[in-house]
Amino acid sequence: MEKAAAEKAAPLELLGSWASSYTHRVQLALRLKGLEFEYAEEDLGSKSDALLRHNPVYKKVPVLVLPDGRALAESAVILHYLDDAFPAARQLLPADPFDRAVARFWCHFSDDKLGPAVGAVFASTGEEQEAAVRQVHENLALLEAELREGAFKGRRFFGGDEVGFLDVVLGCGSYWLAVFEEVTGVQLVDAEAFPLFHAWLRDFEAQEEVRETIPSVDRLLDYARGLRQMLLAMAGGAGAAAPADAPTAALPAPATADIAVDI
Amino acid sequence: MSEPVVVVGGWASPFVTRVCIALKLKGVEYEFLQEAVGRKSELLLRSNPVHKKMPVLLHGGRPVCESLVILQYVDEVFPGSSILPADPYHRAVHRFWAEYADAKLHTALRTMRGMVGGDKADAAEQVSAALRQLEDALAECSGGKPYFGGDDFGFLDIVVGSYIGWFGAAEKIAGLRVLDEASTPRLAAWAARFCAHEAVRDLMPDADRLVEFGEVLRAALAANASCRP
Repeated sequence: MEKAAAEKAAPLELLGSWASSYTHRVQLALRLKGLEFEYAEEDLGSKSDALLRHNPVYKKVPVLVLPDGRALAESAVILHYLDDAFPAARQLLPADPFDRAVARFWCHFSDDKLGPAVGAVFASTGEEQEAAVRQVHENLALLEAELREGAFKGRRFFGGDEVGFLDVVLGCGSYWLAVFEEVTGVQLVDAEAFPLFHAWLRDFEAQEEVRETIPSVDRLLDYARGLRQMLLAMAGGAGAAAPADAPTAALPAPATADIAVDI
Repeated sequence: MSEPVVVVGGWASPFVTRVCIALKLKGVEYEFLQEAVGRKSELLLRSNPVHKKMPVLLHGGRPVCESLVILQYVDEVFPGSSILPADPYHRAVHRFWAEYADAKLHTALRTMRGMVGGDKADAAEQVSAALRQLEDALAECSGGKPYFGGDDFGFLDIVVGSYIGWFGAAEKIAGLRVLDEASTPRLAAWAARFCAHEAVRDLMPDADRLVEFGEVLRAALAANASCRP
């Protein structure tokens, strides 16, 4: 088919950052759909001309560059686009309009509530951190309730039997929970308090395409430790402990808004 | 779909206005349940327990929350003219700018109106900067046609357009222009066109009414606060 040949000739290009959960969303979506793509790692401390040209509004990753040179930014927008543009490939959003609305609602929740709360835990200490932890627990409790008796009752994944849109959105970011727990010493996802969420995350992380996408725990820990030091230093935090194994790899400049240290 | 449609909200909220415009565009009949000022109904709290905010669309009793989510739901469920464009890339562009508009405009407008603390001049500059971006987006999306959606208005028109009444109100309260022909000529012309459309005319709140409403809301919230033990 001509279209398939055209797609093979000039594949999709993804501009991303290896530690960005938003980038991972798109990588995972592309892999789940079996769509070929080229990946270009962005140095967020020194952004490429291509990134600035393709995403002048936010100057952030991920950016999806299409074969004809047009580009799209914002991970949720890109995920919707991939469903729309490749109807023959595996669809991530559910088919039913009400189910789609539910998935979109919780995607907003992840980006507007849960993500920032987790980020706040990571960027703070003492009482401020305690308040942020309570917020995370409240948010996780809402998701746990939906898994237990609400919209996602009885499902292995948010998408049903298979990973779908909301799994990609929540999952690419939830791996930070265990990492942040280790780095801050704070408990975020207790298997006893959130058994269904915990089980879902374990099943999600075991998926082949997910394992191909999410960086190793060691790399994430390294990165998180360095970032935590930097954030606390910026905040003048007294509680920042200097880790014995400070990362030797160069970290991006402290443009924390770009570093997707959020769910 | 013959199941009853209910919108829980308020005439002054841009997020509610946009849902009503979408339903009108689709020719869908609905019941509008106006929330009392400064107080949330049991129905709202029950239907949107997570955020406790309007609008909520109840379709056959099932709640759909978040205005952008509702718009897409309305588009997908009800027949009639499509709200989102047909082309995947253009759909993505509309979604991108819709999120941008809400991120940049809502809080800044509330600041200009004095509903939240903050410097009004800074807020006005933020709104103006966002509108300049949307001016360029309009040129790109419309391709010279009257609306972001082309010949007739669509998703992005509805999302940005729902703020028009509030631009006027914010300008009156803060004494600063944000939407004007000099800096954003296309957008200014588009705004007039949008408000005159028969699907929008009766739903776009009047700027003076909104200014008045802001004062009533502030008073009601203050009264609620002083009543709490």
